[in-house]
Amino acid sequence: MHIPDNFLSTRVWLTLDGVAAPAVAWVARRAHKGLDEARIPLLGVLGAFVFAAQMVNFPVGVGTSAHLVGGALLTAILGPAPAALVMTAIIATQAFVFQDGGVLALGANVFNMALAGVLAAWVPLRLFSGRRRVSLFLAGFLSVAMSAGLALAELTISGIRMPPRLLALSAGLFAIGAIVEGMITLAAVRAIERLNPRWIGPAPANGSRAWAAIAFAAVLVVVVGLFAASGAPDGVMQIGQWADLHARPVWAAPMADYSLPAGPLWLRRPAAAMLGLGLVGGSAVAASYFLLRRRSS
Amino acid sequence: MHHVVVEQWSRRRSFLHVRDARAKLLVALALLAALATAPASPISAVPFAFLVLTGIAAARLPMASMLRKAAVVLPFSLLFALVEWAAGQPMAGMALLAKSYVSALTVLLLVASTPQPLLLSGMESLGAPRLLVLMAQTLYRYLFVISEQAQHMRLAASCRQGSGARRSRARAFQAAAGALAILFARSYSRAEGIQRAMAARGFTGDFHSLQRRSFNSRDTVFACAGAALAVLAHLVARRP
Repeated sequence: MHIPDNFLSTRVWLTLDGVAAPAVAWVARRAHKGLDEARIPLLGVLGAFVFAAQMVNFPVGVGTSAHLVGGALLTAILGPAPAALVMTAIIATQAFVFQDGGVLALGANVFNMALAGVLAAWVPLRLFSGRRRVSLFLAGFLSVAMSAGLALAELTISGIRMPPRLLALSAGLFAIGAIVEGMITLAAVRAIERLNPRWIGPAPANGSRAWAAIAFAAVLVVVVGLFAASGAPDGVMQIGQWADLHARPVWAAPMADYSLPAGPLWLRRPAAAMLGLGLVGGSAVAASYFLLRRRSS
Repeated sequence: MHHVVVEQWSRRRSFLHVRDARAKLLVALALLAALATAPASPISAVPFAFLVLTGIAAARLPMASMLRKAAVVLPFSLLFALVEWAAGQPMAGMALLAKSYVSALTVLLLVASTPQPLLLSGMESLGAPRLLVLMAQTLYRYLFVISEQAQHMRLAASCRQGSGARRSRARAFQAAAGALAILFARSYSRAEGIQRAMAARGFTGDFHSLQRRSFNSRDTVFACAGAALAVLAHLVARRP
């Protein structure tokens, strides 16, 4: 689900751009560490494969068909960091070349599908590496459920007022989509393994199992929480009121409500947004600069 | 293929085409941000639409085709516009529709006036990770090759089985998974071939561009004027 521009409030898209930019810089560095430079074309071509794979229709239900999303498949083949990077390249290409998803909302889409989606796919692959079928199904299921749940939550926070019934319906449709992605991922990986087992190596053994277990619990809580929240938005508001979230701001932001504190009234909001974009770009550049320096030293 | 047309447009020559990719990218971002922060009313999009249409005319791109191509965003927006309308906010729904369409048109103008390699290297010099940019370059290069292969495979499959063939759903699902695996195998072997060919030509992890463009004073003027116009359009949009 690619969110176009103007659907998210300034608060949401700017925050997620700010989160995604340094995170992608970090992922790029991690992916670079274990990567032979000569393998870069392979990653790019696999990205093109995921694009093209979306033309292969899988029959589900009566007269309807679904296609692969690909985050979990890439994670199973490449491992988490390269998969997240390839997904980022795919999402950026979709936004710029096909106007599928917004450019300002790129951070949100990358966060939902490339970062959170790939993490949600990696965790079961790592945790249940002994049970191949379960882990592959869960990887596909959780990656789509995570991305869709996050997108739904971001739209709701941005003030898109969906009637509760419609929200519950779309949450249900996303849940079905997640099950289908799990089935497709499982079937596709097994079919690829039959052709050549070397293409899909053994489950990733790096990283500690304890961390993976904690991450799995976190992913489950987030996914279940997102769906519960989107099914009952009034309940979440209620909890917010109980917790008295808005009573005492911990830190008075210099640009509260995303408008500059001074200057002509008409300039405050666009100037704040542009300044924010500049800060996001600057922080990403600074992050990659320092990371690169650390790598070369 | 859909995008081959835009690729051809991006290689034309005009006032907008010769500007540095970074300048165009910055102006596009300024326009998008100014539009996103404009009031939620369909009239907000009008001054921005005027600017983008002027840009399309200045770049001598075919107006009707551009307007048609940007409409890909409409089905999604229409759905949410209906949702807003059902929630008793028809104006907010209309604003969503108008603003997302003009945003899509802005991005389309950017890619239709900038060749993809220049756009990507512009992004790299603005701070995008190098590995990501290299990956996006190869992805874009082989996107159409592999998509075409997928289309050929689909055509061949429907020739073999016929469109009226009735199979059990489980078998059809397995067949689709098999097709996906074959497509993967072909992509993989193509990638290995590319990798060997590039290594033989001395690829060490960097793409070299034959065109080296510098950010000249005209680009500076263009970037500043573009950002100023974006703010001006925002100002006009705020007027009741």
